[in-house]
This record gives sequence, C-alpha cells and structure tokens, in this order.
Amino acid sequence: MTPQDQLSTTFAALADPTRRAILAKLALGETAVTELAKPFDMSLPAISKHLKVLEHAGLISRGREAQWRPCKLEAGPLKTADDWLEYYRQFWEERFDRLEGYLRVLQAKEKRNGRKNRK
Amino acid sequence: MAERTGNEALLGQPFVITRAFNAPRDLVWKAWTEAKHLQHWWGPKGSKIEVLKFDFRTGGMFHYAMRYSTGAVMWGRFTFVDIAPPERLVFLNGFADETGEVARAPFPGAIPLQMENTVTFSEQAGKTTITLHSLPVNATDEERLFFEGMFASMTGGYGGTFDQLDGYLEIMLAA
Repeated sequence: MTPQDQLSTTFAALADPTRRAILAKLALGETAVTELAKPFDMSLPAISKHLKVLEHAGLISRGREAQWRPCKLEAGPLKTADDWLEYYRQFWEERFDRLEGYLRVLQAKEKRNGRKNRK
Repeated sequence: MAERTGNEALLGQPFVITRAFNAPRDLVWKAWTEAKHLQHWWGPKGSKIEVLKFDFRTGGMFHYAMRYSTGAVMWGRFTFVDIAPPERLVFLNGFADETGEVARAPFPGAIPLQMENTVTFSEQAGKTTITLHSLPVNATDEERLFFEGMFASMTGGYGGTFDQLDGYLEIMLAA
C-alpha cells in the first residue's frame, strides 16, 4: 500500500463511531472479543465485522488463540493520521506567527508615514 | 457558501484554528488579499515568496514559488472560491508545480492534494480575530468524516491543543 492508500484505509476504519469506541476501549489494554462486545448493543458477528476492518487497517492485532483471541491496539496507523493533522496545525501556527510579525511592521510603517505627512 | 452547521453538529468539528491579531480588520484583510503583502508573510519560515501569478477574483489563482537560501524551491497555489470583503475569504490551497498545476507535496507522507480554507475576519475594539476552517478537497467520504469527527470522538493527542484553544476563547470572551 502507498502511504496515501494506507491513510485512506485508516480513515475509513476510523470513520465509524463504533470502531472508534472499540479503539478507545483497547487503549486501556488488551481485551477479549466477548468483553469488547459487551457495551455495544450488537451481536458478536457484527462486532467481529468491525474488528476485521480495524485489523485490515492495521489499527489492531489479534492473538492466535482460537477461543479467546485478545485484541490489541496498534499505534502505527493512528500516529500517521495524527501526523497529518499535526502538519496542518504547525502549518497554520507558523503562518499566523509570520502574519502577526508582518502586521506589526506594517502598522509601524503607517505610523511613521503618518508623522511624516503631518510635518 | 452555505454554512455547514448541520453536519458539524452531527459529526463534531472540522479542523479549526483561531488567532487574534492586534490590528484593525481592514489591514488584516489587505495582508491576506494583496500580493505585495502576502509575499512578506505567506510561506514557510525561512523561505521567500516569489509571486508568479496573482489573479484576485472568484476562480482566480495565486501561484507562487517558495525559495530557500539553500537553493531549494517549492511551488504552491491558491484558487479563490469566495471573496466577501472584509469578512470572509474562501480559497483552495495546495502544492503546485512550476507551471501552476496542482501537485503532490514535495516531501514524504500523505497529505491531501488541496485543502479548502474558509477564513473569517471579525473585529472587536480594534483587534481582529481570524477563524480558519479547513477541509480536504475531493477527499473520500471517509477522509471527510474522519476530519470532521476525529476531534469529537477520539481521546488522542489533541486534548492539549484544544484545551489551549478553549482557554484562549475563554480569555477572548472575557476580554
């Protein structure tokens, strides 16, 4: 997968509120599927479907043990999505810093010119 | 452009950033909309903007080069979508090539080709507050949903920044 494809897959997986809730729960630690299903008004197969999407996106990994198959949060793809937003935050903070400085210069110039004109 | 309040209420907030400037709105508006001003502050720190094209009208383009003292150069562009002086400016922004065509970011990592930025300018007691809403252009539904819903739902790394913003807004409201 290209980085762009990877990001799309991550976003698609994160676009669903149930899946975000699952990830929030897994952030607290490894959890069994049956345990994960409890807070949701959903069948086990429905939850399994969501888990498959998350697993495909690389957001979670699942243990091999057939019965208990604990789910674990994988931070990698989330980090990538996080980087994307962080990029824009830094982008705009920096632009605004520069604009702030420039406005100060502009206003100082206007003041100087104003004084000159009055003379 | 129609306000997207309905969707925002359902999905949370889009990418939003706010900053107050100690300058009257007319001056801030000029700084955003005139090439002779933009070239002094637009572009990454350490780069110099060279204005290649500046056509300030709906559908018009601003094409520029960002030159570094190391000799490195990148190109970027705006497409003006909506101009409502001195209150609102909507424009698409992204990287470009030398000829002004939309191009991928010249660095690794995946960011959208273009973002649609809605900038609103409001003045109170001689200070201007800029609020910027930003969304990916031509993104998939999933990307948009992610962008709009992420902040409301995840407990990830943004808490700090938004706390700061909240605190900031409180100060602004109190002022």
